[in-house]
Amino acid sequence: MHSIFSRLNNGSSLLSSCLMGLLLAVTLSTFVFTAEPQGNLTIGSIRVLEGRNPRRYNQKQEVGVVRFNVTADLTPLFHWNTKQIFLYLQAEYNTTEGVQNDVVIWDRIVRRKEDASINVVAKDKYHLRDVSRTFRGVPHAQYALKYNIMPYVGVLTYGEVARTSEAVVFPKLGEL
Amino acid sequence: MADYINELLEGRIDFEGQKLVEKLMYYVLIASTIAAFITGLALQSLSLTFGTMGLSVAVLAVAIIPPWPAYRSHPIKWLPASPQPGKK
Repeated sequence: MHSIFSRLNNGSSLLSSCLMGLLLAVTLSTFVFTAEPQGNLTIGSIRVLEGRNPRRYNQKQEVGVVRFNVTADLTPLFHWNTKQIFLYLQAEYNTTEGVQNDVVIWDRIVRRKEDASINVVAKDKYHLRDVSRTFRGVPHAQYALKYNIMPYVGVLTYGEVARTSEAVVFPKLGEL
Repeated sequence: MADYINELLEGRIDFEGQKLVEKLMYYVLIASTIAAFITGLALQSLSLTFGTMGLSVAVLAVAIIPPWPAYRSHPIKWLPASPQPGKK
């Protein structure tokens, strides 16, 4: 500590330890703020249309078009360490082979507490497609509205706001 | 001239000053970390946390890095030079 350089050196070394401790404390404090946001999700209609494979132009592919209604209040999720919330609507279904598929069909990034009251009537933002290019083997799907909190410091947390109370049947191609 | 500049850049302080600086650094840094956390948590603002931390670090840096006269007020008192060097 006798010279300017050694004082700088010792000071910055202790400062880095203190900052690490501060960041750790902020991370841990986030686990205290647990909230259960309330929301409601209804599927208005679903149609299965015939489209084209975006990668192979001459290949036909079934595309699900989903209309839905979402209301959610994400305000309780905003605390001092919330940077933004990624809200997404996900279709979940099992194929005949028993493979569970989760497809995100709509999302929204909520950056401010003022925008956290969600009331959306919309159509899917990303088309509902299956790897097998058809929904023939899929009887029905569940839809869930989920969120992902992105903090300034710490870990991502996932959660669910709402879910359809019963499975929504996939119509045949072209049917409403 | 070069010696003078070297002296200025080195910023030497005495032993009592070093003890004081070390104590000051230790207590102020840890206290400001805790204060920053509590302030931010109470007022729910992360920018306030890091603002408090940054401000106290800046004040602390000004207080301990330059060789202020307070840290040089206990110079070492050497024994007087022996009248006949080299002879016991």
